[in-house]
Order: sequence, then structure tokens, then C-alpha cells
Amino acid sequence: MKNRGFLLLILVLILQPVAAQAQQEDFKPEDMTTFIIQVPHGVEGNGLAVGNSTLSAYLFFESYYDGDMNVTVELDLPKGFVLHEASVHSFSLQTEYDDWYRLVDFYIPADTPCGTYNITAKAVVDVKGTKHTIVRTTQLKIASKKEVANKVSVSQLIVPSDEDGNGDPSHPLNTLVVQETSPALKKLLKVTDLKIEKEDLTSTYMGIKITNTGNSTIPVIVTYDILDTKTGEHVKAFKPDIMGMNADTLCYATVTLSPGSSSLISLPIYISQDAMGGDYLLRVKVKLTGSDWIAVTKDQKITAISRRWGPIITTFTASLLGLTALGFFFSRPREIMDRFKTRNLVMIALFGTVSFAAINLPMTILWELSHAIFGPFSFLFTGLFNEILLYMLITSLVVLIPKPGVISLFMTVRFLLGGFITGSFTPITFITLSVNAVILELLLYTAGITGKNPAPDNRFRMGILCGFADMASSYVSFSVWMVLYRLFYSDWYIAANILIDGFLYTFIGTWFGISLGNRLKKVAE
Amino acid sequence: MIGARSIAEPTIKDTVINRIDPRAKILILISIVFVAVSLDNQKTMFLLFLTVLSGFVLAKMPAIKIKTLVILLVLLIWGTIYSQALFYSQLPRTVIFTIIRPEFPILGWLTGGGLFVYEEGFHHGAVQGLRSASILSLGLLMCWTTDSRDMLNGLVGLRVPYSVAFMVITAVRFLPIIITEVATVITVQRLRGFNPTKFGSGIIKTLLNILTPTLANCVRRTGTLAISIQSRAFRANPDRTSLKKLEFSDIDKIVVAVCVFTAISVVIMKLIYNMYTSGIYYTSGLRPVYAIAGGYL
Repeated sequence: MKNRGFLLLILVLILQPVAAQAQQEDFKPEDMTTFIIQVPHGVEGNGLAVGNSTLSAYLFFESYYDGDMNVTVELDLPKGFVLHEASVHSFSLQTEYDDWYRLVDFYIPADTPCGTYNITAKAVVDVKGTKHTIVRTTQLKIASKKEVANKVSVSQLIVPSDEDGNGDPSHPLNTLVVQETSPALKKLLKVTDLKIEKEDLTSTYMGIKITNTGNSTIPVIVTYDILDTKTGEHVKAFKPDIMGMNADTLCYATVTLSPGSSSLISLPIYISQDAMGGDYLLRVKVKLTGSDWIAVTKDQKITAISRRWGPIITTFTASLLGLTALGFFFSRPREIMDRFKTRNLVMIALFGTVSFAAINLPMTILWELSHAIFGPFSFLFTGLFNEILLYMLITSLVVLIPKPGVISLFMTVRFLLGGFITGSFTPITFITLSVNAVILELLLYTAGITGKNPAPDNRFRMGILCGFADMASSYVSFSVWMVLYRLFYSDWYIAANILIDGFLYTFIGTWFGISLGNRLKKVAE
Repeated sequence: MIGARSIAEPTIKDTVINRIDPRAKILILISIVFVAVSLDNQKTMFLLFLTVLSGFVLAKMPAIKIKTLVILLVLLIWGTIYSQALFYSQLPRTVIFTIIRPEFPILGWLTGGGLFVYEEGFHHGAVQGLRSASILSLGLLMCWTTDSRDMLNGLVGLRVPYSVAFMVITAVRFLPIIITEVATVITVQRLRGFNPTKFGSGIIKTLLNILTPTLANCVRRTGTLAISIQSRAFRANPDRTSLKKLEFSDIDKIVVAVCVFTAISVVIMKLIYNMYTSGIYYTSGLRPVYAIAGGYL
């Protein structure tokens, strides 16, 4: 028994070094490792570059050997190429599937002659004292700029596109829609292809088809600018800062163009809400990887359509309100008209005549004349007639006939009279007057100024109510001008108009209108 | 100086335009307003404007009316150009003049970064001014070729309540009287030393001094007029007969049908097109509509 154990021990001692030597002799570097070189990084096969480029060579080493190995990788660049770091890297891999990679930057001087250069990477693998050498060689073609520019082209630009860069016939070509993205509107509308990324940004995509007609693989970086067509300056609203970063950091794509192939890529377009509508120049730029030199540019005129839903919805609502009020009146005309005595109707008609004679007729010329002279600031002058005089008449009429509906009838007479005599049957007049009438009627009735126990004598209350009503109708009026007549107004101008014309002048007119009404009451009595 | 009367009074002649039924005129006006508001294409807008102007030639409008029209149109279009040159907010835009510099104290801040005159705004204003010009011209053509009584008959024919029509008739009838009264009061105020053009509180004083006697007269007149018309059985019967019956001629019917059809078509096509451009609705079957609306409307 003792002899058997002794023999077994001797056998183990003899066989162990033999087995170890056999394992070492079985190590085949090509089978048990992967060693890759890509120049530039991402290019499988032979790459292409131009002079004055900084490229990265990608070195990758992976072990399939179940044991330790020490590796030394050396990158051998052609003469003239400038390496930015050490050419030799050493490392150890301990287990199977352990790997190592490195991006090694180097510079190709501008005066490097055109031609094909060999770049070699050598890996010396030390497994248990035995060294194995693996060599990889790739070629890098240095081409002239002219040659590259002839080979790469942007064959198609698709704006807007889907996320993959494909065109969508459901959206007009070369058109971007700039929309408001307030939360309420987002919920209400859900109308756009533009996906809302953030509270104040919308985005869409553009598709770019790039073609490589050459025989080399070309790595490129694609980016774009949206420019002012006249000045050629960047329009920041189309590349806003995103999360504190410049949009350029997000709006680019890297592509490796295989020989004789085309690639369709997509790039995001971010649009901030303050982007203006109009015509822009979209400039797509294709740079060779590693170089700032722009190989290809492609310009395309694009149009941005500004959709301000606020004025659109205001106009729509106001039109609906006006038509509803009209429909209500037409549905029960007798019932409404019988609430007024003949005397009331005559008085309203005569007040309508006075308003027409004192406001509409002079304003037919004065309105246009003051617009022509003072331009947009004419409201400071025309407001004296349109607001102070008008509200003096309206208030005095309400003091004389404090019934619901009196203002609506007065406005109707004004509208029809204006239409018959000066031809001002315009949608703006209709919408503005009807909204003004409805709001005034509602406010005055709710505040108890008109109705069963009317109290129209409080100047301050009446002034405030009429002021608010006119502010609302002024805003509606601007919205209608902007939507139906496609006119532009600055926010500050609208605000000034609403405050001065809409509130201040109206308040003054109402204040004096009550005095006037009280005086006329004495005449009526 | 263009007198108020020359603006207000219709020119009654026996022309194609004058002969159109007032109801037809109102319907044509409403249709054209819808078309004018829907259009965006400059050439089509200009064509519409010329079409409306040709109505004045057909109506053999007198020189004074044409002169009035021209003055109003020039002022209207210039007013639009002026405002749009300042507020144009599309790109590209070229500043040709600075009114308020962005760094100007208070005003620079108030105006949100200054006030400029933009070259492109002139063009935009001129184009958009055509829209208002077409509507104004057509409105004037309608009221200058139609007697106000016929127009009111037309409104009644279009189911406007007679009481409302009566109020408008009363207003129209009393208009010359009230204009004369206002003019008289202004003269009297001037003789008393008021300056109606004095800015500030002077204007309010003047307005009060003009309005008080004018409206007092109206209030006095109201009682007399009410008794007078009530004695003639105003509102005694629900239906009212008319001395002059309005009748659509065949030409009226055709013109109205064409205008209404055109207006409905244009509005629907533009609506469909805008839904397409906004990404609200698209269907490939409507491509011809998108092409027509985008290219011509």
C-alpha cells in the first residue's frame, strides 16, 4: 500500500512540468488573442485623411488565454507623422476575455505628400517567459483636398425628416414649424410632428444623404448651421443652449463612408420658442474626421413658419363668441327687441348716429391720416376719439337706459351704419364690436349696473369695468389683425395700446360719460 | 377737403353694379371678405384687388369718389407699411433706420431692445395692405352704388329683425341733421373761445361741450319721434310689408352662387393646407389641394 502511494506521488511530480510545457507550447497567438488596429478610429480597412489632420489610431488587444500574459504594443507611424504620446504601451492581461484598448493621437502635417502609408502595430506577448509577436498593418491614404472634395458629396437634404432621416410626405418640404409649447396648448393641440423635448424647445430632424464615390473608406463628421440669408450670421434660436451646453455638441454625426456607398443620417434641429418665422439658409457641412477642413458644404433655403397659437385661439374664440351672440339674437329677435320701448330704440339709434358722426366719419380720414403720419403711435391720438368719446357715449347711454342689451344694440347700429356709409363691413369690426358688446354686457349686468335694480352712477366701478372690457377687446382686436391680416405687432406695443387706449382712455371716457349721462337724464325728465 | 357728404352719399346710376340686388351685394361682400382674409399669395391678392377696382369702372363712379377712394387707399396702405416696417418680425430683416437704440434709457428697455425700421417690413406691409384695401374698396363700392333704403331692405330680406333695420334707418336719416348740429356746436364753441384741437384736458372739455348740446337735442327729439312712429303702428304687427319688393335676377343668382362657392372653396382649401403645414392632418389624396393652395392661394 505504501509503495502504491509513493509511485503515485512520483508520477504526479513527473507529469506536472510536462503538462505545463505542453500547454505553453500549445499557445497560438493568432488563435488565442485578438489584435486590431484602426486608423483612423472606426475605419475597418484602409482609411483616408488629408494633411493637417489630427487622427486617433485605435489599438485593441483581447486575450482568450486562461492565464497571465504581458503584452507590449508598439505603434509604428510613417516618417513625418507626429505622435502625441508614447508609441509603446505595456500591459498585463490576467484572464480569458481580458482586454486592453487605447486611442493614440497623432498629427499628419500639412505638407505630407499624398500617397498611401503603412501604419504598423506590433504586439509582443510574453506567456510564461515565452515571447510571441503579432503584427498588424493598415494603410492610410493621404489625399489632396481636391481629391476628397470630388469623392464626397451631399446628395440629398430632407427637411424635416423622421428620426431615421427619411422624408415624410405629411409635412411640407424645407419647412420648419415654430410653435408655442405652453403646457395647456400642448395638451390641447397635440398637432405637431415636432417632439417637445423641453419646456421651451421643440425639435425635429433633418435627413442628410452623403455619397462616397471613391475607393477608400472616408470617415466624416456632419454638422449644420442655420443662417440668416442676408447677413450669413448664425441664428441662435435654431441652435439654442441645451442644458447649459452649446447645441453644436448635440447636433453632429460621425459616419464612415464605405467606398462607392451612400449613407442616410439624421441630425436633430432644436428650435427655441423665440425663433422667428421667415426664410433661412440651411448649410450642411461635411468635415473629414480629424480635420477642421470642410470637405463639402450644401446649402438649402428653408422656411420657418411661426405658429402663434395664442392669437389663433383668441381669434377663433372671439369669432365663435361673436357668431354665438349673433345666433342668439337671431333666434329670439322679438323677445329681445320687445324688452325695449320704442323710445329706447329711437334713443339708441340717435346715439348711434352721434357716435357715427362724431367718431366714425372723422376717423375715416383721421384714422388713416394719423396712421400715415404717426405710424403705430397714432393710437395715442385716435384713442381720444375711439375710446374717450366712444365711452362717453356708451356710458351716458347706459345711464339713460340701464338695461341689458342696450350696448349690443348700440354696437349693432354702429356696425351697420359704418358698413352702409363707409363700407367698413370687415371681419375685424364685426369680431371686435361683438366681443366688446358681449363682455361689456356681461360685466355691467354682473356688477348690477344694468338689470332689475340698476346702479350706473358709480364712476369708479363703471370705469374699471369698462376699462377691463376694452382691454379684452383690444387684445382680441390685435389677435384678429395678426391672424386674419397677417400683421406683426411687438408685445410691448400691444401692451402699451391695451393699457393706454384700452384702459386709461376708456376709464377717462367712462368717468366723464357718467356726468354727461346725468345731465342728459335731466333733459329727458 | 373731402366733404363728409361726398364720402357718404351713394351715386345712383343705371350700371351693372347698381342693378345688383342689395342682398346679393351683401352676400358678395361677405364672400369676398372671406376670400381676402384667406389669401396669402401676393399675385392672387393683387388680382383680387384689381378685380374689386374694376367694379368702380363698371359703376362709372364720379371723379370725387375715385379721388376719395385713392386717398383712402393710399393712406391705408401707407399706414400698414409704416407699422409693418417697425414691427416686422421675420427673418431676414435689414435695419435701415434706428428710431430707438437698444441702450436708450428706459425706452430701449420698454421697447424690448429698441425700435427699428426694417426694409422687408415695407414690402410685407404693402402686400398685406392689399388685403385691407380690397375689403375697404369693395365695401365702398357697395355703399356708393346702393341706396341706404335698399340696403336696409336687403338686410331685412336677409332676416335681420325689422326693429334693428328701423334703428339703422333712423340713424341714417338723422345723420345729416346731426352732422349739421355737431358742426354748428363746434362753430359756437369756437366763437366762445374753445380750441377743439388743443391737446390734453382741452380736448375732453371740448368733447363734453360738443356732446352735451348735441345729445340733449337727441334726447328731446327721441320723445317726439317715438310718439310719431308709434302712432303709425310701429311694431303693431309681427310681419311688415314693403313697398319695394326685392327680387334676385338670374345674373344676381349666378354671381352670388359663384362668389359663395369660390369663398367656401378657398376657405376650405386654405384650412386644409394650413392643417397640413401645421402637421395636424395630412392625406395623400389631398395633394392636388395642397398644390393649389400652396401655389396660388
